Amino acid sequence: MSNRDEPFFVGYLPCPPGLRLFLLAASLVLFAGAGLLGYAIASTQDDPGDGRLRFDFGPQTVIGVLEMTPSPVLHVTQGTDAIPEGHTLMLSGQGKNGAVDRAQALEGQLVQATGILLQRGGLDMLQLNGGNNFRAADDQSVIPDIPEPEPLGRWEITGEICDGKCEAGAMRPGRGISHRACANLCLLGGVPPVFVTTQPIEGEEFLLIAGEGDETTPPALLDYVGLYVTLEGDVSRHGDLLVLTVDTDTVTVVE
Amino acid sequence: MSVKYTPVQWNTSKWVYDAVMLAGIALFLWLFISVAPGALNHEFPVNPPIANARAFGACAFVMLTVILCIGPLARLDRRFLPLLYNRRHFGVMTAAVAMTHAYFVLGWYFAFFRGAERWETVLFANTSYGQVLGFPFEALGIFALLCLLILAATSHDFWLKFLTPPVWKAIHFLIYPAYVAVVGHVALGAFQSRGNETMAAIFSAGALVVAGLHIAAAWKERRVDPHAAGTDWVKVGNASDIAEGRAIIARLPDGKRVAVFRHEGQLSAISNACAHQNGPLGEGRIIDCIVTCPWHGFQYDVRTGRSPAPFTEKVPTYRLRLEQDEVFVDPVPNAPGTPVEPVQATQEAMP
Ligand code: HEM
Ligand code: FES
Repeated sequence: MSNRDEPFFVGYLPCPPGLRLFLLAASLVLFAGAGLLGYAIASTQDDPGDGRLRFDFGPQTVIGVLEMTPSPVLHVTQGTDAIPEGHTLMLSGQGKNGAVDRAQALEGQLVQATGILLQRGGLDMLQLNGGNNFRAADDQSVIPDIPEPEPLGRWEITGEICDGKCEAGAMRPGRGISHRACANLCLLGGVPPVFVTTQPIEGEEFLLIAGEGDETTPPALLDYVGLYVTLEGDVSRHGDLLVLTVDTDTVTVVE
Repeated sequence: MSVKYTPVQWNTSKWVYDAVMLAGIALFLWLFISVAPGALNHEFPVNPPIANARAFGACAFVMLTVILCIGPLARLDRRFLPLLYNRRHFGVMTAAVAMTHAYFVLGWYFAFFRGAERWETVLFANTSYGQVLGFPFEALGIFALLCLLILAATSHDFWLKFLTPPVWKAIHFLIYPAYVAVVGHVALGAFQSRGNETMAAIFSAGALVVAGLHIAAAWKERRVDPHAAGTDWVKVGNASDIAEGRAIIARLPDGKRVAVFRHEGQLSAISNACAHQNGPLGEGRIIDCIVTCPWHGFQYDVRTGRSPAPFTEKVPTYRLRLEQDEVFVDPVPNAPGTPVEPVQATQEAMP
């Protein structure tokens, strides 16, 4: 206990020679350890995939007929190179905002919309520009019919409830438990909810989730956002988009 | 040990300490944010705000882990004591790094929502407190951050004096709940979102090292200190075992520790707990007639338990008695700063 020869460190006095080497070694270990851990922890990050805002395409202007699910979707009648005619395009606002408020007065009309495309594989969405960039088209003389929804029956499917905008590339990564609170805010803000499946359904890897009344996201689903779940629901095809009406009593978390 | 409080009293040790610490933080963040992504080679990398949030969060966790290892390391091997000397700068820096983590998280995941500010959205975005998967792990981060900020704000010796050492010590015990909360924060959040187990393995290893070192240090202390028995005068050891300028430490029946010093062949007993932050005075040594605490260098005269003027710190003293070589202590402490006549040791200290 009273070892005479041990060097004694007092902070405000010069470091005893016997301790210098030890402290130098300790500093080097801490420094190298910091580097090693920084690199190692960063290396555990997963590939967030190819979803992104397609600023490289520039603003896209399309015309189409507006349907509300009540998330607004556009049945495109006049497209661009990136958005083909006949595509059913989901719409959102900027930030964590949907486009429901702006869309309500335009339901069933021929609409002109300008915005930036978000794209991840087959999942895409248009982030509408502000101001006058989402309005009734000038010529309403011929409004094409919206394709009749085609019922595809009841399905039990497994996957994740996401906010369609972040998942499509507004955030990388835009899913999972780390992102759950963010996704909830997007969904509360009216961004279209999508179900990303683990197995393709009728060739599609995602479905738009139908809302309940005025709610774009059925409130009961908010507890399950970002988790791996199975659920049952009715699937129907709206143009080239699959829409899922969830039976909210059937949602269960898969451990 | 100052009568006048200055924001920081600098000396060479502190400069070197802070330089090593800041260099380590810079290296960690640089490799995390700028170098590792190149090796990961993702075609479209993680968004910069998310990458920054992760880097600062992971850095704060590692720093907290190191901080909690310093205490037990210094108990196990006294050569680590210098790491303890300036630990409060380490702590304040950790709070700053954790704050930066929260800043990036709030500015990205919790911003851009119409109708509520980011410090509001973080409170209501996820309220599934009843479930494990999907638990609002952010709440645990908020708790930990508040603890770290309280500790950083009260780290200065002014607060130690103002709040009194027992209250200050109790507050600073918050570091443990904070660490547990951070472990929960990552276990319920980041671990669940990674497609691999490596991150969980690295972080769990860190938490296990912290727990293991604390257990090892407590165990060592239990074995080393002789346990004085009885409520009457208690035997604490042999005078010949006490080296000149050093002390032996013994635990008294009430659980407190006493340090018996030999100074110029005479024995004196004072409380082992330094008035500053309870540093182990008995592990200090007598320099220029006064004992110097091994933690931050506060000094006391062993015959009076008082710091030399102009300082005013006081520790309790104890009465001593010698029977041949055996040292006995009256387990009832004198009021702090009570002078006690030293006892002449009959036997020389063993070499
Ligand atoms: C207001 C307080 C806090 C909030 C809102 C918060 C929120 C978050 C969020 C949302 C993530 C997930 C990030 C992602 O993977 O995309 C995260 C990760 C993390 N947080 Fe916090 N946090 C807070 C405080 C803290 C504190 C005080 C610490 C540590 C001292 C901490 C340590 C971590 C760590 C280590 C990660 C994992 C980083 C990684 O993925 O590599 N957090 N936090
Ligand atoms: S505990 Fe800080 S000097 Fe003793």
